[in-house]
Amino acid sequence: MSIEVKGVTKKFGDFNALGGVNLDIHTGELVALLGPSGSGKTTLLRIIAGLETPDSGSVIFHGNDATDQPTQDRQVGFVFQHYALFRHMTVAENIAFGLRVRPRKLRPNNTEIKNRVTNLLQLVQLEGLAERYPSELSGGQRQRVALARALAVEPKVLLLDEPFGALDARVRQELRRRLRKLHDELGVTTVFVTHDQEEALEVSDRVVVLNKGHIEQIGTPDEVYLEPKNAFVLNFLGNVNRFRGRADHGQVRIGDLTLDAPEHAALVDAPVSGFVRPHDIDITRHHNGDSASLIPATVTFIASLGPFVRVELERENGEPLDALLTRERYEELSLQSGEPVFIRARRLRVFADDVKPGGEDYSI
Amino acid sequence: MSFTASHKLAPTRRRKPVRPPGFGLTLGVTLAYLSAGVILPLTAVAAMASRDGAGKFLAMLGDERVLAAFKLSFGAALGAAIVDTFFGLIVAWVLVRYSFPLKRVVDAFVDLPFALPTAVAGITLTTICAPDGWVGRYFEPLGIKLAFAPVGIVIALIFTGLPFVVRTVQPILEDLDGEIEEAASSLGASRWETFRRVIFPTLVPALLTGFALCFARTVGEYGSVVFISGNLPNETEIVPLLIISKLEQFDYPAAAALAVVMLVVSFALLLAINALQVWTARRGGGR
Repeated sequence: MSIEVKGVTKKFGDFNALGGVNLDIHTGELVALLGPSGSGKTTLLRIIAGLETPDSGSVIFHGNDATDQPTQDRQVGFVFQHYALFRHMTVAENIAFGLRVRPRKLRPNNTEIKNRVTNLLQLVQLEGLAERYPSELSGGQRQRVALARALAVEPKVLLLDEPFGALDARVRQELRRRLRKLHDELGVTTVFVTHDQEEALEVSDRVVVLNKGHIEQIGTPDEVYLEPKNAFVLNFLGNVNRFRGRADHGQVRIGDLTLDAPEHAALVDAPVSGFVRPHDIDITRHHNGDSASLIPATVTFIASLGPFVRVELERENGEPLDALLTRERYEELSLQSGEPVFIRARRLRVFADDVKPGGEDYSI
Repeated sequence: MSFTASHKLAPTRRRKPVRPPGFGLTLGVTLAYLSAGVILPLTAVAAMASRDGAGKFLAMLGDERVLAAFKLSFGAALGAAIVDTFFGLIVAWVLVRYSFPLKRVVDAFVDLPFALPTAVAGITLTTICAPDGWVGRYFEPLGIKLAFAPVGIVIALIFTGLPFVVRTVQPILEDLDGEIEEAASSLGASRWETFRRVIFPTLVPALLTGFALCFARTVGEYGSVVFISGNLPNETEIVPLLIISKLEQFDYPAAAALAVVMLVVSFALLLAINALQVWTARRGGGR
């Protein structure tokens, strides 16, 4: 089932949780709502579920306006961040809940319910735990019970609020993959909220990046990562180094570097920032007369991260920089702390400060 | 060298588990308090009751008037506790779930039976429930007597016991995770189904506690009951009143015997409710 969100706004007191959000989610898609806390991502999810009413705008399920439809009629499966399992019910009773509360005409009989519960327990690989109480389960198991319970009612839409937030790293990784597989098997339209960019990029078909109640960008994981529309998206989707500079009539100056920036032609002596991801920085010892594209810096600290090595540097003006080298490259260079080097940015993106649109790739 | 040295240190002694300091003193105070305040008087009462021998003890209990008083005392307390559990839940629900003008005042009023001298409550209730009182006059034509009848006793006990239920259920309701209800409604449950299957079961232990407290408090209630009951032997005479009248006749062993029976039955009932509570709590499985 497709979901359309049209011009949805929501205020909590003076706080603008959502300021006019438009979003189309296609049937069978797996979409991540990504943003920092307070960005409105959970509010948006809860509005889609009907747990929150928008101040204005509408939510449309498969062409039908559902804005005023109560949650229990929307046929959405909702998985809460802290699972919200019913503590006084066993795992099986929890999963069967949605079937048991159906009006008598639509309620499956006991054998059918039992079969459904057994199938769902198999699906989330919790066979044998049917008679346990939630308090007797681990965090990951509870999460899977919550998922099975939401799926039991055969929802048209599956909504998950920070589904892996409360789990430790290893379990989280496993459950992420499982969610992706499950989605591919069932094909149910799925929306999940996360503040973890890695999770969003790994699991989803499309990522919706939210900030301060607005959508900053919608796109596939590659689109938002490789072609961020603005400095916020770029920043939020991973570590980045920032170089402050100025743009003037299509020319951008960062330190001693000057480069062409035709799309910033309209700017006259305006502050801009260049952004480079740590893995897009290369380090060399010699400038080979190519000083126009190199920035001098000093190595201040070296941290080994297994397959990668993070090198912390300091520019001549005192600004810190991070570079992420492969172990191979690092060993080739055999860098020492305190050593003066040159850095080259393989991929630099320039955004005007405080102005959102624009931004292109540069190589220097 | 170092090997031999460490070898000599080797006999690993099992360490004594360390108790937080102050155990001896605090336990001493607790036991002294329990002995002086609870065990000693109870033993004295039991001793007093058995002074004239078991035969007299049993004969006294078989007395028709005594039996009627016991039935009335426990019956009225049970009835009041049941009514209070039901209405206490509603009051707690309103106080937790809704906001309305003067909510704080209403909240404070719940505690009134705690603070009000029971005699005041008794006189007030008697006045309004009497055949010509504000409330009693509407029941009089129907042939229902409120004051000076068992119903009046139950009314007085309901008044006394209500805050016990409200104040035990209220914090549990406040702590109830809102997500649980949202989860139920997202699974298609109506408000009523959500209450019946999700909210109510989590409140059961608190309701039982409230019920037990209410019962324990009202079964011995004296002040508010003596006025409204009319104190007719065999009809509206409660056990505490019977004890008083035995004392007035200087029949101390009989008074003590009544007290002991009351004590034992109350204790047994509380124990049973406690066991039930533990059982429901365990089913809930904690957090």
